[in-house]
Amino acid sequence: MKKVRLSRRTLLKGLGGVAVGLPVLECMLDRNGEALAQSVPLPKRYAIVFAGQAIGGDDWADNTSIVAGKRSTDTAAFIVPPETGSGYTATLPLKPLADLNLMGDFSLVSGLRIPFSASSVDASAVPAAGAFRDFHGGGAGPLLCGTRSQSSSFTCRSATSDQIVAGFNKPGSIGALVVRAQPAWYLSGSSFSGRQYISYKGDAAPIEAQVSPSIVYHSLFDGFTPTDASARAQHDFDLRARQSVLSLITDKRTRVLGTVGATDRTRLERHFDEIRDLELRIAALPPVTGGQCQPPADPGPDLPVGGNNAGSGSDTIATNTGYSDEGTRARLMADLIHMAFVCDITRVATLQITVFQSHMNVYPISSALGVPIRADLHECGHNGDAMTRGQIPVSTCLQWHISHYAYLLNKLKNTQEGAGNVLDNSAIIFMPEAGHGQQLNDAMSANATHSVEKMVLLVAGRAGGLKPGRHIASAQAHPGQVLISAMQAVGYTKNTFGEVTGPLPDLFG
Amino acid sequence: MITGAGGSAPRADTASASVARRLSRTEIDATVRDLLGDTTNPAGRFLAEDEFTPFDNDYTRQNPSAALIDSLEATAGDIAARVLAPATRSRIVTCTPTGPGDAACFRQVIETVGRRLFRRPLSEDEITAYLTLQSFATENNPTVPHDFYTAVGLVLRSMLQDPEFLYRLEIGAPTSQPGVLRLNSYEIATRLSYFLVGSAPDDRLLDMAKADALADPTARRAEATRLLADPRAHDQVHRFHAMWLGYRAIPGSTDLLAAFNTETTALIDKIVFDQPASYLTLFSSDQTYVNALLAAQYGLPAPAGGAGWVSYGTTGRAGILSHGAVLAAFSKFSDTSPTQRGIFVQTRLLCNVVNPPPANVNVDQPPPATTSMCKLDRYAAHRSVASCGACHNNLDPIGIGLEQYDIGGKFRTSDDGHPECPLDGNGTLPGYGTFNGPAELGQKLIDSGKLEHCFVEHLLRYAVGRALYPEEQGAVDTLAGGFKASNYSLTDTLLDYVASDRFALRTEDAAP
Repeated sequence: MKKVRLSRRTLLKGLGGVAVGLPVLECMLDRNGEALAQSVPLPKRYAIVFAGQAIGGDDWADNTSIVAGKRSTDTAAFIVPPETGSGYTATLPLKPLADLNLMGDFSLVSGLRIPFSASSVDASAVPAAGAFRDFHGGGAGPLLCGTRSQSSSFTCRSATSDQIVAGFNKPGSIGALVVRAQPAWYLSGSSFSGRQYISYKGDAAPIEAQVSPSIVYHSLFDGFTPTDASARAQHDFDLRARQSVLSLITDKRTRVLGTVGATDRTRLERHFDEIRDLELRIAALPPVTGGQCQPPADPGPDLPVGGNNAGSGSDTIATNTGYSDEGTRARLMADLIHMAFVCDITRVATLQITVFQSHMNVYPISSALGVPIRADLHECGHNGDAMTRGQIPVSTCLQWHISHYAYLLNKLKNTQEGAGNVLDNSAIIFMPEAGHGQQLNDAMSANATHSVEKMVLLVAGRAGGLKPGRHIASAQAHPGQVLISAMQAVGYTKNTFGEVTGPLPDLFG
Repeated sequence: MITGAGGSAPRADTASASVARRLSRTEIDATVRDLLGDTTNPAGRFLAEDEFTPFDNDYTRQNPSAALIDSLEATAGDIAARVLAPATRSRIVTCTPTGPGDAACFRQVIETVGRRLFRRPLSEDEITAYLTLQSFATENNPTVPHDFYTAVGLVLRSMLQDPEFLYRLEIGAPTSQPGVLRLNSYEIATRLSYFLVGSAPDDRLLDMAKADALADPTARRAEATRLLADPRAHDQVHRFHAMWLGYRAIPGSTDLLAAFNTETTALIDKIVFDQPASYLTLFSSDQTYVNALLAAQYGLPAPAGGAGWVSYGTTGRAGILSHGAVLAAFSKFSDTSPTQRGIFVQTRLLCNVVNPPPANVNVDQPPPATTSMCKLDRYAAHRSVASCGACHNNLDPIGIGLEQYDIGGKFRTSDDGHPECPLDGNGTLPGYGTFNGPAELGQKLIDSGKLEHCFVEHLLRYAVGRALYPEEQGAVDTLAGGFKASNYSLTDTLLDYVASDRFALRTEDAAP
């Protein structure tokens, strides 16, 4: 067998050429600083930050709570403020955004609703873009991809918005950066079973998120060529070594696939395809540092994954079980997304902080926020801690999620780009899993966490003329309409998303 | 029987369908530990969690992804760096290289390590391909440190990312029966080793495969006997039970969990390996192995000498269903769930199908409120609703018979925090009559004759790495018949299965 080592450029030629991500440098801008020279517009970024929780607690009206045994009503506890328009109350979950002076940088869209059949539980009765009447799975698909769900399974029946955007807005070899902070399921009797996906290429084609900040760091930033001569020599050596290691595998493709049966050929082809994709990513011309683009510090080894959950209400939930420091993990991922955007390595990202129906122990995070809740995130919405239930505990957990969203927005805002900042050229969504309305399964109980009514999305940034800073109370618009708007803000030219049609024009002022 | 696989399975009476199965995280960890001396469980750190259905080796849930490929690259680099640290590398580099370009020594490493990791000898072409990596050891590059071991590291990285390492490829040769394929000896060695010890075949098995000795059922039985004496076989049997019975990860304090683990593994080891007895004793044993902490938890006398076997006496406890580990599984967060425990018995111990609740049921709310504060009153009110009772009558009465045992295995006579709500421990196993507590439930399950069958079904499911096709019922029946004939010897049953013709055959699974 003959082994030829190809240069990177030769490889690239053979692969039909791979576009290269470049950071925006001053010298590349036009005179107004609003576009690159030769009228190439500044890159537009799109991201979804996802929280696996609802916005209110079971059986507790908005704003009503019991904390450490004490009942209270507080009009600023529910995420949706009483006022619409600009200058509205920074409610409890929005506090991290207010603290970072970001209230003018996002709009809060309330009153969103995914339709469902109130009269029938048949799959065939689910309306277009609607939810099969079994939470959690039934609500996931229409929220993520705008196409009706047909069962209780966690899946999407069409592509999610991040993948659609990555399809037309891809600077280099990396499409959407799909990452997750919660690394483990934490329950012994079950496993993720689809709850760990918020990104789909298409019908039933989920994209596995990377949960290791360390691996994300290396896959994004190992490609940068160091400026120091000896480091550059090492870098070149490592790169060649990586390529040779992988080509020894891909060289076997034909032989291996030729020996196995038809089913295995399909299974293994997909594996080989993914290795080929890694080769393409490595072979792409290196991203270039400069301007605001400086590879971040290596996050180092990943934090340990916490043990399984000790259970709501029990004394042992205070211990570090069911928690892998998702807070730090989310921040590390946000750092990496930020710099990947700044360096234009990718323009699309999803950060799933917690999974659908998350059983992450919220005791550590809620204690740090002054409202200790002895429950996991899912049970928090279902009154898992008998002494602390309702709005305030749920909003406290939501505030924790939003703090990571705020952290990302703040970094984007504080990174200059052209005449403005990176957030100006972005549409960044915050997406909780559920609203706080009629229970989806029985289509009866009010104030349920398992609800696709009264849903909320936050949309930050000014890409494409988005006008942030307002509370927009929609009249039961589909969440997919908000996503269409955000997608259009970054260049989507169609008017549909799954089975959803039309944007929410209010977002553009 | 519980079936999950879609489609049909032609020739399932003769052979089980198989596809290229990816090693689970646990299998990768065990493999690099045994073959390369890396004891750090690297796969668990880098690779996404396996799905459990209830076993972690369900190939129908395995999908390649960019995240997987990136993680594998990181894992391979991580392992190679550790294995080739100066203090440890002599384990896999047994020759002493004369210099960076020592081709003979390099070839020896490639042949040895490749044979182990790919579970078959490498072809001359493959060896030649890996030999090209030696240029990274010999290149003229004064600024980058590199030596003989640099190239060995690259070989390791490449092999550890190779589908032939990650997947158990089974091809087989045609037989006189259309569609039925006979595995070669290397494929048998791999199947045997991963089934019994959860790791790659050792040198002895590979030597036997080279001589094509494993086509012989007697030789397979002898090798399986050897492997069952390996501590890794004990671990494998423990893991199987933890996944089957749902206690692989349960809440509790570190001390208590350690005591639970010791208790349950002690009973399994005693019955299966150390003092072989009827496997069904697992559900009827009148003794248990406890330390002072666990004795206090169960209200049993503390054993002399800190830890040891104690008799349950007339406590109403017997067998594994009395163990804190099993009682902790299938519970709600803060309390037991009679429904979940009912589902556990019906699905895991009797292999009955339990349908999920209808979509329009709001399962978040506890059974409807009554004036009573008592849990069992609420459950009774719930079952009195016809649409609920239809299913819950087959579930809750089982769990109610275990209600006197809380999620930590402690005995109680009333609801937690509600002394006015007495628990009498009386339950019903639908179709088999009333019982009170785990000892009587265990006996009822044994007497039902279904427990042994359901156990064997789970065993086969674990062996083939997926839910069974309905057409595999005959194979379960055969295995269950042998289990009974052996007076319920688990090791004999494992040996019989390994020695059966079925073990050496496969069909193509049409469903990827």
